[in-house]
Amino acid sequence: MRIKRFLAVLLALAMILGTAACTKTADESDSNVTQGADNNAASTGNKTDNSGSASNEPVKLRMAWWGSQTRHDRTIAVIELYEKLHPNVDIEYEPMDFDGYFNKLATLVASNEVWDIFQLGSNFPTYQSKIYTLNDFIADGTIDVSGTTEAFLRIAADEKGNQVGLCSGVNTYGIAYDPALFAKAGVAEPTENWTWADYKQACLTIHDKLGIYGSSKFDDWQAGASAGINQEGFGIGFFNKTNDNLGFSDYKMLSDYMQMRADLVDAGAYPDPGACQEISDIENDFVVSGEAAMTWVASNQFVSLCTAAGRELKLINPPRKTANGPAGVSIQSSQMLCVSSDSKYPAEAAKFIEFFQSNIEANQILLAERGIPTFTAVREALAGNLTDIEKAVYEYVDVVGAFDTGGETVNPSSPACTDTIKEQYNYYLNKVIYKEMTADEAAKALYDFAASQF
Amino acid sequence: MNTASKATDKSGRTPWNKFVYNTNTVGYVFASPFIIGFLIFTIIPMISSLYYSCTDYNLIEKENWIGLSNYIYLFHDPRFLNSIKVTLQYVFFSVPIKLAFALFIAFLLTRPSRMVSFYRSLYYLPSLIGGSVAVALVWKELFARKGLINTNLAALGIKTVNWFGSMSYAKWPIILMTAWQFGSSMLIFAAGLKEIPGSYYEAAKIDGANGWKIFWKITMPCLSPVILFNLIMQLISSFMVFTQAFVITAGGPNDATMYYALYVYKQGIQSRNMGYASAMSWVMLLIMGVITAVVFKTSKHWVFNESEG
Repeated sequence: MRIKRFLAVLLALAMILGTAACTKTADESDSNVTQGADNNAASTGNKTDNSGSASNEPVKLRMAWWGSQTRHDRTIAVIELYEKLHPNVDIEYEPMDFDGYFNKLATLVASNEVWDIFQLGSNFPTYQSKIYTLNDFIADGTIDVSGTTEAFLRIAADEKGNQVGLCSGVNTYGIAYDPALFAKAGVAEPTENWTWADYKQACLTIHDKLGIYGSSKFDDWQAGASAGINQEGFGIGFFNKTNDNLGFSDYKMLSDYMQMRADLVDAGAYPDPGACQEISDIENDFVVSGEAAMTWVASNQFVSLCTAAGRELKLINPPRKTANGPAGVSIQSSQMLCVSSDSKYPAEAAKFIEFFQSNIEANQILLAERGIPTFTAVREALAGNLTDIEKAVYEYVDVVGAFDTGGETVNPSSPACTDTIKEQYNYYLNKVIYKEMTADEAAKALYDFAASQF
Repeated sequence: MNTASKATDKSGRTPWNKFVYNTNTVGYVFASPFIIGFLIFTIIPMISSLYYSCTDYNLIEKENWIGLSNYIYLFHDPRFLNSIKVTLQYVFFSVPIKLAFALFIAFLLTRPSRMVSFYRSLYYLPSLIGGSVAVALVWKELFARKGLINTNLAALGIKTVNWFGSMSYAKWPIILMTAWQFGSSMLIFAAGLKEIPGSYYEAAKIDGANGWKIFWKITMPCLSPVILFNLIMQLISSFMVFTQAFVITAGGPNDATMYYALYVYKQGIQSRNMGYASAMSWVMLLIMGVITAVVFKTSKHWVFNESEG
């Protein structure tokens, strides 16, 4: 009899544990799954935050963004600062990873419940119908833009001049590498004019000499298709300037990168798709653990990467197709904060965004983690006490800004079908890696697929 | 005091009381949470998905009616056909392994022992937490390149396996994780085993049958209705495999674990082709319906039914 009672208790406990686990699943699958444990602390944080002191006109805003743990911590600190300064404003926040963020955004768009304040990148045209443009707020002074420049405003605007958001910072893509590992393998450090052939050779040599991956996971779409096509010549891009067709005509421009990726995986100099799956964000990249000598980063991620690695890393532009050809990368808005048209308090949301981007105290918490700030006063305030790593990022962005662009301006947005094409690109790239397609076939298939989207 | 007697019938009850105390009403009241939930969260979404499956709905813009194009395109989509292939493969391996394991453990736990109930609860635990993301993450770590499994293989001097980098190995951790959640099938088997009268076994023993023979001639036939039930339940849940593949492999490498439900998710939520994903879900319903029907039909030949016997 006693054992039965014991069992009843045990089973009851098990049930409770089970339901607890299930509840958690539901919460997590909304936001992020792969990032897992290290995010829990942050995501549970938003529930304890409803204690803002009562005021005559309480405003409740919801905000979400994607990013790494560093970004989550700093953004939450700024939100708390804002709530302290504006006791009537209560901001509910949802820190997420990139994929989880956009999955949730899609469902919120469908249910007309997009967060009041949300983060977007160059893919903003997809969500244009949900963006509350800021032109009126700028005109009536709710948002004071006197501290920034016309050029910086334009990188967060569409081609018709609608201010879709305020830029959180500028960045560019680059390669972070570990000079010590390069030296150990006897490979010369990359220079501004290095080529994909140099990159491949460096990967293979490092792998042969040290038994580690030469290179960690790249953003294949950016490296092989976006920057890759830009590198073919000035004015050539994957999409044309008006985002209504492709910007190149020869599918063969896509095949070299695919072939190289497959060769490197074959040689063991680049993580296979299974190993890539182990990288959930920049802070557990193989460069951090010393299992790879270089990796693809957005310049603003470099600080997180270095901090996680705890070793000296350097930043260089991505390899070029030809040593004297275009670099393929340019300075861009890393991301911006937008006000949603579902918001009940668009003016309050706009005020927060202005605070977030232009307040010096706030930016001394954020520390340019989203890219180099676009408000002059903020940039100057931060310039005084930059760490060496942050200085390296500023210098790198300056280097990229000085690259020859052949007089062409950069298209700050990408068409709505980009996600679909990107997905297909990765699909074909995997087929090349697992030898179900040749690089030439894959490039042709992708070109046809992309062209069929318009 | 007399107000209640205004509209009373012979038995002295008001129509209201009669309604409330009616057995059917009580039944419906108790079932209403489920019925309401079923109508709101199952029937309405099902009907709307049938509508959306004939449109190009992408969550953001207003949908356009495109007739059966989604269904026609499905059969030209190599990723879709591949997802059917790998899902069938998964079902084919995972269901028998899981059921065999569940039956084996249930069989072991029929021994009369004080600890049986304890062990039964213990083995049931993985099923309670098994479908969760947390366990899938643990599994991912276990089978990682430098995870526990490979470390142990290396310690034993066996060549390590690149589980998630190889198209042929990647499915095994997922199948094993499914098999590991054998608890609920095991409980049903255990209940079924208890129902088999002890006298059958005694008679068989007296007639000199050995353990193997007893298992095949008595246990299996008597258990066959339970096996049918478990088989169908597991078939259906296996077709819907999602969490493990989503968390552990994300469908990779090269779509080797891009299961049906995962592809539906990828198309519907990630690529926002809701219309196409809805069409896919309906085809899935059809496939599962057909397979379940086939199992039911053939069950006549192997399920032992006492009333017919």
